[in-house]
Amino acid sequence: MAKSVVPIGPFHPLQEEPEFFTLTVDGETVVDIDVNIGYNHRGIEKLSERKSFDQSTFVIERICGICSTSHPFAYTRAVEDIIQVKPPERAEYIRTIIAEGERIHSHLLWLGLAGHFLGYNTVYMWVWKLREEILDVMEILSGNRNSYAMFKPGGVRRDIKSEDIPGVIKKIDSIVPTLNRLKKAVLDDPVLHARLKGIGILTYEDAIDYSALGPTARASGVAKDVRKDDPYGAYDKVDWDMIVTKTGDVFEKVVVRVLETYESIKIMKHCLLNLPEGDIDLNIKDIPPGEGIGTAEAPRGETFHYVRSDGTNRPARHKVRAPTFMNLPTCKATVVGETVSDATIILASIDPCYCCTERTAVRDTRGKRLYAAKELIRLSQQKTAQIKRKMGLK
Amino acid sequence: MKLPKVRELTEALKALITGPYTSKFPKKPHIAHPNFRGQPVFNPDKCVGCLACEYVCPAEAIGHEDIKDPKNPRRVMIHYTDTCIFCGCCEAACIADNEGIKLSNEWDLAFFDRSQAQETIEKELLLCEICGEPVACKDHLKWIAERLGELSYSSPTLYLSRLKELGIIDDNIIAASRDYSRSDRVKILCARHRRETTLSTK
Repeated sequence: MAKSVVPIGPFHPLQEEPEFFTLTVDGETVVDIDVNIGYNHRGIEKLSERKSFDQSTFVIERICGICSTSHPFAYTRAVEDIIQVKPPERAEYIRTIIAEGERIHSHLLWLGLAGHFLGYNTVYMWVWKLREEILDVMEILSGNRNSYAMFKPGGVRRDIKSEDIPGVIKKIDSIVPTLNRLKKAVLDDPVLHARLKGIGILTYEDAIDYSALGPTARASGVAKDVRKDDPYGAYDKVDWDMIVTKTGDVFEKVVVRVLETYESIKIMKHCLLNLPEGDIDLNIKDIPPGEGIGTAEAPRGETFHYVRSDGTNRPARHKVRAPTFMNLPTCKATVVGETVSDATIILASIDPCYCCTERTAVRDTRGKRLYAAKELIRLSQQKTAQIKRKMGLK
Repeated sequence: MKLPKVRELTEALKALITGPYTSKFPKKPHIAHPNFRGQPVFNPDKCVGCLACEYVCPAEAIGHEDIKDPKNPRRVMIHYTDTCIFCGCCEAACIADNEGIKLSNEWDLAFFDRSQAQETIEKELLLCEICGEPVACKDHLKWIAERLGELSYSSPTLYLSRLKELGIIDDNIIAASRDYSRSDRVKILCARHRRETTLSTK
């Protein structure tokens, strides 16, 4: 059979890192994958250099709509690294609460979409309903469902009112029973086991070679988490576990994300209940010349920011590295050798920008057939249905 | 595999009784949480027109226009609701006890025509008597004079505008001439002409 080329991409203008995958397929099996990035360059770094240090926080926040906390978190840490100050303890706790709330809703969003890709639309709806509660919590705490505008170099911009805390804890607790049920339904489902176990394996060696980050690395047994390795915020004051699994297939990546959601709920509740009194802001006036680096654990892995100051009120240089940039090349290790119907979920398993995979086109080398993104998702859903039939369900 | 079916069935029955999770939005208006950060709104009574909000706004959603009409000089403060990101920097930077511009709970900001996407208030402006360029808003000078106390008498612009406001001085006093000299120092002047009249040897 002739080899075909399957281009996936190139971009969705709303996303953080637009990607373009070219899959070379032999029949059903993927024999090669090429990843292209660099579409939809937005000039965020240059924009940030035009704004003052305080204003930059808002530009940085808009790099990504889903991890809109991890970027300002890393950026403010970088600026604080230049001045060599630590924000007040209360500010550290508030930052941690917001960052964990974001992790919960980001993981739930991924879980829902993964369910949709696999043809489990009930999971999709249930999980997004749960996520709605967390977004409500974020609205109470920060005033917005997304893009929280809470961070500033030297502290946070908005205090958490003590009268809001009981209601917030009640809301967070209310999602746990449903999450438990969901965990059972997802992790004990024989169809999902058959569908996800053993596909898209990223081995321990590959995870290290490709410098994979976040849940992608932790699913492969690499115990790597900025929150543990270089504690920031209030993470060293809270008792929590890093979730590490061994095999590194897509199923383990689901497991890591589901269990991490529980840890995030734990951290968030602990911080809300033990919120120390005090200032929330250092009121930084001048930023001396110098350079600083800041890291933060985004839901997808480590976010890295480098800021150089020349003594003015604007950053002289601002460099951003998002986690998907490191996780994307691991597709080369995971997708090759798998089938096209599995490719969608494997590419999605690193939790990249989702809309990228939704702008998918399939065509053979002669350019005769052309499928849209729907087609690939349909293929993926069909395979689940096939497994169900084989197992005698339905 | 009977159990999952029972589980789904109870969920379906529950949904039948409680109704759908989603709200009946257009029929039932949505009321945002009191903590919600909505559209910033100017308070014409409190705002002094100092432009601090315009300076800090990261999205450049606040602008102003000075109308230098000698009969009715005014500053139009403009808030562009379409570019606003509701961050609250303007409220935090507001010098009028954070009340000149305040975030409201308003979220329903859809519009058909982009030119409608702005909110304006007008503030009375004070012009330089020599060149006619704006000095500052009257309320802003009043705000400064109140905080400086007796020190405000060191600046003719400050105390003259204040006395004019109170109606203590005659409106018929001679305005500074275009061909200014050192004697024109005690007038309402912009920063440039204050410097030039002071340094003038005429």
